[in-house]
Amino acid sequence: MKSKVISLFAGLLMAALAVLATVVPDSIQAATIKRLIFASAGFHESNHFWTISRPDHLQFEPFWETLVGMDPKTGHYIPALATKWEISPDFKEWTFHLRKGVQFHNGWGEFTSADVVHNYALTMSKDARMTLGPFWRTVAEVKPIDRYTVKFVFKTPALPTNLYAFARSGDLRMSSKAQWDKEGIAGLDKMPAGTGPFQYVSRQTGLNIVFKRNAKHWSDNKVDFEELEFRIAREEATRLALLLSGDAHIGDLPRELHKDALAKGLKRFSSSLPVDWISVYMGGLWFTTGDKSFDPKAPFVNKKVRQALNMAINRKELLNTVFAGRASLAYVSLYVPDSEGWNPKWESKFNELYAFNPKKSRELLKEAGYGPNNPLKFEFWAFTEPGESEGPAVADALAIYFKNVGVDAQVQMQDWAKIRATYRKKKSEKIMWPNIIGWRPSDIGIKDFYSTKGNNHHYEDDFIEKAYGQVAKSTDLKERDRLMRSIGDHMQAEYADIPLFWFRNEVFASPKVVASWVYPGPTAGRSSHFELVRLVK
Amino acid sequence: MQRFIAIRFLQSLLALWVMSIIVFGLARLSGNPLEVMLPIEATKEDYARLEKYWGLDRPLHEQYFVFIKKALHGDFGDSLKYQGRSAMELVTERLPATLELAGFALLVSIVVALPIGVLAAAAKDGKWDTGAKIVALLGQSLPSFWLGIMLMWIFAVMLDWLPSSGRSGWKNLILPGITLGWFQVAVIMRLVRSSMLEVMDSEFVKLARVKGISESKVIWKHCLRNAGIAPLTYFAIIAGGLLTGSVVTETVFTWPGVGLLVVDAVRSRDFQVVQAVVILFAGIFILCNLLVDIMYAYLDPRIRYQ
Amino acid sequence: MPLQSTRTMPWYAIPWVTEGWARFKRYPLFALAILLFLLVIPAVFAPWVAPHDPFMGSLSHRLTPPVWQDGGSMGHILGTDKLGRDILSRIIYGARVSLTVSLIAIFVGGIIGTVLGLISGYFGGWTDSVIMRLVDISLALPTILLALVLVAAVGPSFGTVITVLIVLLWARYARLVRGEALAIKELDFIARARVAGASHARIMYRYLFPNVVNSLIVLATLQVGYVILLESSLSFLGAGLPRAEPAWGVMVSDGRELIVTSWWVSMFPGIAIMLTVLALNLLGDWLRDHLDPKLRNL
Repeated sequence: MKSKVISLFAGLLMAALAVLATVVPDSIQAATIKRLIFASAGFHESNHFWTISRPDHLQFEPFWETLVGMDPKTGHYIPALATKWEISPDFKEWTFHLRKGVQFHNGWGEFTSADVVHNYALTMSKDARMTLGPFWRTVAEVKPIDRYTVKFVFKTPALPTNLYAFARSGDLRMSSKAQWDKEGIAGLDKMPAGTGPFQYVSRQTGLNIVFKRNAKHWSDNKVDFEELEFRIAREEATRLALLLSGDAHIGDLPRELHKDALAKGLKRFSSSLPVDWISVYMGGLWFTTGDKSFDPKAPFVNKKVRQALNMAINRKELLNTVFAGRASLAYVSLYVPDSEGWNPKWESKFNELYAFNPKKSRELLKEAGYGPNNPLKFEFWAFTEPGESEGPAVADALAIYFKNVGVDAQVQMQDWAKIRATYRKKKSEKIMWPNIIGWRPSDIGIKDFYSTKGNNHHYEDDFIEKAYGQVAKSTDLKERDRLMRSIGDHMQAEYADIPLFWFRNEVFASPKVVASWVYPGPTAGRSSHFELVRLVK
Repeated sequence: MQRFIAIRFLQSLLALWVMSIIVFGLARLSGNPLEVMLPIEATKEDYARLEKYWGLDRPLHEQYFVFIKKALHGDFGDSLKYQGRSAMELVTERLPATLELAGFALLVSIVVALPIGVLAAAAKDGKWDTGAKIVALLGQSLPSFWLGIMLMWIFAVMLDWLPSSGRSGWKNLILPGITLGWFQVAVIMRLVRSSMLEVMDSEFVKLARVKGISESKVIWKHCLRNAGIAPLTYFAIIAGGLLTGSVVTETVFTWPGVGLLVVDAVRSRDFQVVQAVVILFAGIFILCNLLVDIMYAYLDPRIRYQ
Repeated sequence: MPLQSTRTMPWYAIPWVTEGWARFKRYPLFALAILLFLLVIPAVFAPWVAPHDPFMGSLSHRLTPPVWQDGGSMGHILGTDKLGRDILSRIIYGARVSLTVSLIAIFVGGIIGTVLGLISGYFGGWTDSVIMRLVDISLALPTILLALVLVAAVGPSFGTVITVLIVLLWARYARLVRGEALAIKELDFIARARVAGASHARIMYRYLFPNVVNSLIVLATLQVGYVILLESSLSFLGAGLPRAEPAWGVMVSDGRELIVTSWWVSMFPGIAIMLTVLALNLLGDWLRDHLDPKLRNL
């Protein structure tokens, strides 16, 4: 017995020493694998795709396809289940020509226009809560022209930017009508049939989803492995352990761990295009005339305060530390160079208006009436959602920058539901919060976050209201571009928020297993195109 | 006796009912599930439509009535997060994993704690007593998530002896089992040690010694047999600790049990699942207490007539 | 003492060593020393002892390793965290936070539990039934879940965490005190006091309470450690103290994903928790053996 105690104790000591020595593990297996395992932070697990928001469409990526595909390298829209499409000159009728001979898994027959009508009907269910729900409700009718042609008729003009809703970046998935007719929703829950390069095998809530290769896929791409598993591991440390121990082969890691992961021999695979932007928002900025929630005494209402806070931040340092250098500066929130309304002058303007300058920041605060005796004080609310772990780190770091200019920002971890309820109900006039938001066309972004038409109220005023009203009505692409540019100019000049960075989706894989993988990023699952993962031979 | 049982049974039901109000109220207080469930693009109309669909727009007392009426039939409603699954179905699907983990952890803790407790009692205040106590207490001194992550690093990543997480075979059970069990080692060790000390003082042990039976036989056979019963009395408390501890352990090791389910449910305001889990756990605990009370009353007639 | 005899004797048989050992065994010196140097002195003298501001960091100095590793500096003996804050200073201030939180929670929880326990045990009958069912409910609440829901409801703050802890703690005191009160109230001196015309409150305060104090001290000591751990578990589940606070639990939980590379971020506060809780447990066990040997089920 005594010896047992001794060995237990000795074992413990050795274990502690081993950790202190931080030996680099070399347990990543090189053997060819049958099942590729992707470690994910998790998602709302359900096959009812009309109830699932866009990033969580990751779980559908392998087996349910969309009408329009996305080029993994350029992000351009390419044929998928539809081989071509036409938009009428008044932007009200979109016609899709479907690929012939596409078979659903498990013998559920050929994919036809009836399936498109069926799946559109699902997006209109009473319990539907899709990301693009508001867009789908502008559809008046989905008309099957023949077995392989289908027409979407819109109530209001739908501009070509909306193609993203039909594409792999959207949320209209093609499930089998034949299966639904025969088995109802139970069939969809148990063994949903799709047309994708993988087919559904099983799901264990809280743990994983398993797919197997569909040898009869319509594309001529050959998948390198027999099975694909999405393993859910919410804890970041657990995901890193999964990757390093070889229990998983690819996985999401927070940017903070990138350096460590690279040092341990993992390989990074970035998406071809930027995926999310992070900005910090200040509450109470509801300048639209007649807004009853507006409080002129709220701290952020003073433009000098907003400028001062922007100038207190050393974005370059933040980029290189918290984001491991893997992001690019956002000059105006939500715009990227190919967005409608992008202005190339924003970069130089940004350097003039937003550059790191603590001295100027302190002066501005003084002009706004704050000083050492009555410092500006507010709560800084941060949250973590699976896959978006940088929020708290950004809040912590910004709080230190603010402290440096005499501003007291108290960082608090809040639950996402609470933050959202607070800004949605316009009770946020004394708080600041970071938000990580996925790419979308810039006009839709303005509507969602910077106009009273949206439901988020991040910043609102008469100028944007009027300009966006014109954008919404206009079908003249040149005029729209001009208007969208004027909105961006205005947001920049008014310090509407604290724009920080754009970043790509980045996953890590064991280089002994995964040779290459190209995927676009702004798809509905962020990580997508698993059929293109090439293994080391 | 029957009257005593009847009264205690009614009281337990009452307690469970109060629990249902507490958990219902707290869940509602924690915010609107739509704030988690709806995409950021959702319009005001979306909120209104789904509030109606889920019955969240009805007055609270009405919602409570619906909930309790269904719950009496064993139906806790449909999960908001896992669309297409009922709360009860989810809980019963996940329960075996938690029971497996808790059972294994209990086994681990008994296997470690019993000898340490006996040894500590046999040589009270000796070097071994102190050393063993420290080992046992270490388990209670480490935050369990930290212990879990460390074990994962050492045995899954560095040594690659065991799988790091998940649930696919008996090997997956070892690390989470130790993480969860170690915390209970000290509890059980204390119980064994103190009851051993008591038994070793008793007449029949002295008699055994006088009879010339070897010391190790006295301790390991005669004393242990009697002292081993003590931890059983506290089974309810230990089981409660294991179930609560499983929340953290399951999160670290992505063990798909009830603990992991409920953490997710709280985060996504999946009221139905939260209610089902809390009431189920509380029901088990209250039932255990009831049984213990009845057992005591049966063994000790004085309690009955108080 | 003749020189020769010391040579033939093993070194540990030297009288002052054996005496020292005996004394060491009599008092939990190890535990007391740890507590003094890790908890009490830092908590009281934090502003004078800590080398840096525990809240202030600089990103350019983030994740500096401890001084004995490559890249470490004397400025940050135990290294810095993700935001470049000095870990040693945060641990020192953290003692203050951990001690305050656990003392308040235990004190308030203890008072509530003791009063209810005394009433329950002394009066018996339906009062006892009601209070004991409340205890059942409180013990039956899956503790961590309750905390998660509560924090989701009102947001994390010192107040919330302490409230959660009080809700979790009081029932154990109530149960313990009631059990003792039940036994004591049957004793002669209580009956005599009653005959002498003492009020119920007086009997409870003057006669019952002093007899349970020892048990209370033992329970409270053991619970300080429990509370520190609970606080760290809450932080892990995202329901702990406000994020910027240099609480040990917050620190360990914050650095947990860096365990492989920047191990010092969570290791040092983890060791602080471990040693403190270990010491408190040893002290608690020792106190029980000496003050109240009949308590065993804590």
